[in-house]
Amino acid sequence: MTNHWIDIKNSDAVLIMGSNAAEHHPIAFKWITRAKENGAVLMHVDPKFSRTSARCDFHVPLRSGTDVPFLGGMVNYILENGLYFKEYVLSYTNAAFVVGKGYAFKDGLFSGFDSKKRAYDKSKWAFETGPDGVPVIDLTLKNERCVLNLLKKHYSRYTLKNVSDVTGVSRDNLLKVYKAFCATGAPDKAGTMLYALGWTQHTVGAQNIRLSSIVQLLLGNIGVAGGGINALRGEPNVQGSTDHALLYNNLPGYHATPQAQWQTLADYHKANTPVTKVKNSPNWWGNRPKYMVSLLKGWFGDAATPENDFCYGLLPKLEPGQDYSYMYVMDKMYDKKIRGGFIMGVNPMNSFPNTNKMRKALDNLDWLVCSEIHTSETTENWHRPGVDPKKIKTEVFLLPSAHRIEKDGTISNSGRWLQWFDQGVKPGGEARNFADVVVPLINMLRDMYKAEGGTLPEPLLKLHWPDKYDAEEWTRRINGFFWADGKAGDKTYKRGQLVPAFGFLKDDGSTSSLNWIYTGSYTEEEGNKSKRRDAGQTPMQANIGLFPNWSWCWPVNRRILYNRASVDMNGKPWNPEKAVIAWENGKWTGDVPDGPWAPMSEEKGTLPFIMNRDGHAQLYGPGLNDGPFPEHYEPAETPLASHPFSKQLSSPVYKFHTSDMDKMARAADPKYPIVLTTYNLTEHWCGGGETRNVPNLLEAEPQLYVEMSRELAEEKGIKNGDGVVIESIRGRVEAIAMVTVRIRPFKVMGKTVHLVGMPFCFGWTTPKCGDSTNRLTIGAYDPNTTIQESKACLVNVFKAGKLTELG
Amino acid sequence: MKSTRRSFLKGVGAGVFCLTLGQLGFDLGEAKAYAGSLKIEGAKEVISVCPFCSVCCQVIAYVRDGKLVSTEGDPDFPVNEGALCAKGAALYSMYTNDHRLKKPMYRAPNSDKWVEKDWDWTLKQIARRVKDARDKDMILKNGKGQTVNRLESIFWMGTSHASNEECAVIHQALRGLGVVHMDHQARV
Amino acid sequence: MPKTFLIDTTRCTACRGCQLACKEWHDLPANETKQTGSHQNPPDLNPNNLKIVRFREHLDKDGVVVWNFFPDQCRHCLEPPCKGQADTSVEGAMIQDEKTGAVLATEKTAQLSEEDAQSVIEACPYNIPRLDKKTKRLTKCDMCFDRVSAGMQPICVKTCPTGTMAFGEREDMLNMARNRLETVLKEFPKAFLADYKDVNVIYLLAEEKEHYYEYAAS
Repeated sequence: MTNHWIDIKNSDAVLIMGSNAAEHHPIAFKWITRAKENGAVLMHVDPKFSRTSARCDFHVPLRSGTDVPFLGGMVNYILENGLYFKEYVLSYTNAAFVVGKGYAFKDGLFSGFDSKKRAYDKSKWAFETGPDGVPVIDLTLKNERCVLNLLKKHYSRYTLKNVSDVTGVSRDNLLKVYKAFCATGAPDKAGTMLYALGWTQHTVGAQNIRLSSIVQLLLGNIGVAGGGINALRGEPNVQGSTDHALLYNNLPGYHATPQAQWQTLADYHKANTPVTKVKNSPNWWGNRPKYMVSLLKGWFGDAATPENDFCYGLLPKLEPGQDYSYMYVMDKMYDKKIRGGFIMGVNPMNSFPNTNKMRKALDNLDWLVCSEIHTSETTENWHRPGVDPKKIKTEVFLLPSAHRIEKDGTISNSGRWLQWFDQGVKPGGEARNFADVVVPLINMLRDMYKAEGGTLPEPLLKLHWPDKYDAEEWTRRINGFFWADGKAGDKTYKRGQLVPAFGFLKDDGSTSSLNWIYTGSYTEEEGNKSKRRDAGQTPMQANIGLFPNWSWCWPVNRRILYNRASVDMNGKPWNPEKAVIAWENGKWTGDVPDGPWAPMSEEKGTLPFIMNRDGHAQLYGPGLNDGPFPEHYEPAETPLASHPFSKQLSSPVYKFHTSDMDKMARAADPKYPIVLTTYNLTEHWCGGGETRNVPNLLEAEPQLYVEMSRELAEEKGIKNGDGVVIESIRGRVEAIAMVTVRIRPFKVMGKTVHLVGMPFCFGWTTPKCGDSTNRLTIGAYDPNTTIQESKACLVNVFKAGKLTELG
Repeated sequence: MKSTRRSFLKGVGAGVFCLTLGQLGFDLGEAKAYAGSLKIEGAKEVISVCPFCSVCCQVIAYVRDGKLVSTEGDPDFPVNEGALCAKGAALYSMYTNDHRLKKPMYRAPNSDKWVEKDWDWTLKQIARRVKDARDKDMILKNGKGQTVNRLESIFWMGTSHASNEECAVIHQALRGLGVVHMDHQARV
Repeated sequence: MPKTFLIDTTRCTACRGCQLACKEWHDLPANETKQTGSHQNPPDLNPNNLKIVRFREHLDKDGVVVWNFFPDQCRHCLEPPCKGQADTSVEGAMIQDEKTGAVLATEKTAQLSEEDAQSVIEACPYNIPRLDKKTKRLTKCDMCFDRVSAGMQPICVKTCPTGTMAFGEREDMLNMARNRLETVLKEFPKAFLADYKDVNVIYLLAEEKEHYYEYAAS
């Protein structure tokens, strides 16, 4: 989230799209309800009418997979009607930047497309620069290649008719949302967008979010109270686990994983440290070497020295362009190229797409280690229905896992608040937390390498590694230490003392931090700030519910990101009624500003978007793999044979696999005419492995169901409560029919398109509840994130004879 | 007298039940007995965080003699102000649930059952398999002769259930091992 | 002056925090349930569920979907007919606490004959009490009498995220109810406070009771 949970109450218009907030983030609705009480309009744009829709001013059903046209229509509406916040857009975004002549867009494809590689040459999309390398900016907007002009041209095709035809949303409903939300383009109004997996789980997932940021920038809604792009992050600590990068492509703190062509730390720094030619751009990532060296120092301690490149050479290096994510691991496993591995606190044999393939792939492992609270479809895969355990070779080590109340440490909520939790009781039975598995395991391996030798022992033996795990010691390691006596400002620190803020991290090995964005969370002066329980705040802070003294928030306790965009050039809030920061008497008040510098109008003033090289927010974003502007492409499996935006039916660059089990229905396939969208519900959690084993929750939601319209049910001779079979080209699933007015047929391109929806939390290890919905879903992925398209694939539905999966 | 729902509805109008509270025969003693003792009385309050969605509601765990007695929302936490959803409200039975795994278990190749094992045996077995794979499969140089130090035959999946501290431990361990096939729920 | 709940259904998201919290606080075991084409589960109140959220959906006159949620529980009537009925057979089976107005089914309800217990159930205008066949006792919401006696809020009220439920002195709750109704009427012209003169659990409903539950109001 750019903002945070409480801040939603400050909004004048709440657009919930790609999220079912009331069911998946129920407490978010405390703050959404407060916004409504304060006069906000609440809107829910989603394929089905849910508990969220029930509490919104209106619900607008849209066909799953058409968020880009819906929002593209909104961009067109804003630009055609001049509703954008001109001063904000011109001063703070790249609207006036001139795009180079290499950029073009034709027939649904951007310039630089290589059809053999299914990839773009992104260098074609670069900005025009002057002879000195400074980007060309034309504030008069006369140059037709100014970003704003290209944006206008691109979205001029997103007319109400085209958008309505393809989304299935009536013109009236489109206008209702556009009008209500775009009213927040006024300087003193704020609109927030709340999204979740409904936007990310598409082959155009990253572009859904890109487009929402374009809308929010045009309306001046970034950085202000009650505004922002707010990812309602799903998992319990997915914010923190992303920050700490349990991901192949990142190191903790949002650094790229080293690649083979960056053989030395100098190579790495050169490739990953941006240099700006824009004078008043703080270009914060210019500091990357300080954070990277401090990370290496945190990992390798005294063994990391300037002479040995701080052990950079020991780190694994990726091949450029190779994808090492979940789905590629599973595909390699299916091809018998993986020996063994660890699946801890996740249930992929229920929650991964095309589960039939995943379950077969897992059979190919020699060994598997799981750490769970309960047995799951993953831990029990070797005796799943229809499989003879005698034929499955995999050795499985199943470790009992401790639960939250049985351990201590911190998590980071969606609003980036760092919250400490204490251990309430000892772990049940012999259960252990994850670290009490990994710390002794690495120590055993270190002993084995010392005793036996082996391949490349150095990275393990040189690790700065404890004998035993202590949570708070790691909270301190994450914050970081001085490794040599030194100074921070006018204060002196000794080796071993905590670094007070990331501004004091250095690239010479004198400091460490396991994650620079958390530096400042634990200091000599104030201790462990994640434990703070002080509701005190200034009247200005209290006015918008900032709570700066409760816990701590990354970065530097800044509660609203990009908050320098909430003020004008002179540092005066656009909306004084809900000021986030203000420049008063030569200093900032309110929230912690995005950098201490003066406002833009002053001599040393700076641009607000400090994490972007050139200081401006990106309406035009040449960084993504599928284009600098979001464009509509149908889902990989689509009920349409064509769409009105271009001849390019689906994304030209989405990822997929080609195994014999990776089948796809063809476009407008009459055998699979119905769109399936998947989701979850309040009472269960993701793959369901924990909540299905809580009898009180299972009582409330006991079995797999499929929600469908009355019209579809009638067509298929299905009654509410009937057993039904759902089939895709990849699998077959049984469920109970929930026939409801809450799902309605869509009128799309002149034809009726039915949509059904199913939760994916039920699995066979819980008796009689049904089995994985994901046996139906598709292995097609976003080209930037490799997130699967769980939200739209094609199926058919039949009344069932005898049910075998639901008992 | 036997009253029905219908007679109550009529009754309100007709005054049949229009007695004052005092006339209804309270029994303070019985009510007191009904109240019994409060199950959280004298229990220690421990602050924790709900383990589900990213709202991260704070909860109070009531603990007596090392045992969990009850859980409810932390009324002081500014985000949830004491509230919880269905999942958060069910934390107590989640912890006391007897379906939980209690000991390390081992399933041998082609076996049809789990066998209980101790931690030391289990971790040693795992360490041996990791080392064997690492020694055999570690790729020191790629086709271009560049040093890559990566291990592709082992993977790690999970988890956003881990705390920040556990994530930091896991990430550091994996880079030390040379594992590149690492991923978690941020991508599903 | 007794204690009163205000349950403003126009704020309810059916998160079922109340339904689950009630079970957990009262240590009630789970029932085995089935999916029958509705989210409402268990389908009805029972000895293991003293509070359930009822779901009902329809299309309004303009074809707009309306989905109503009704967190159902004992109304703790000011003059409880269940008690009136029980008193005719076993004194002290149903009691009412003077201080809080809580209507309580005591262990003496086990002394009621099956027929008498049935009469008590039928006396309730809101279809609340249920007979526990194992213990022979009548069961229903007890206002978290242990908590309230200790100065705490009932667990359902404490747990509610959206402010659907409030609990306090009757006079305060009546004022809150009137204020809230005034606001809600602007959006829902048919909104009303169900039987507010007779009950200590006042529901604010946005439209006719039929669109919630036949016993939502008497």
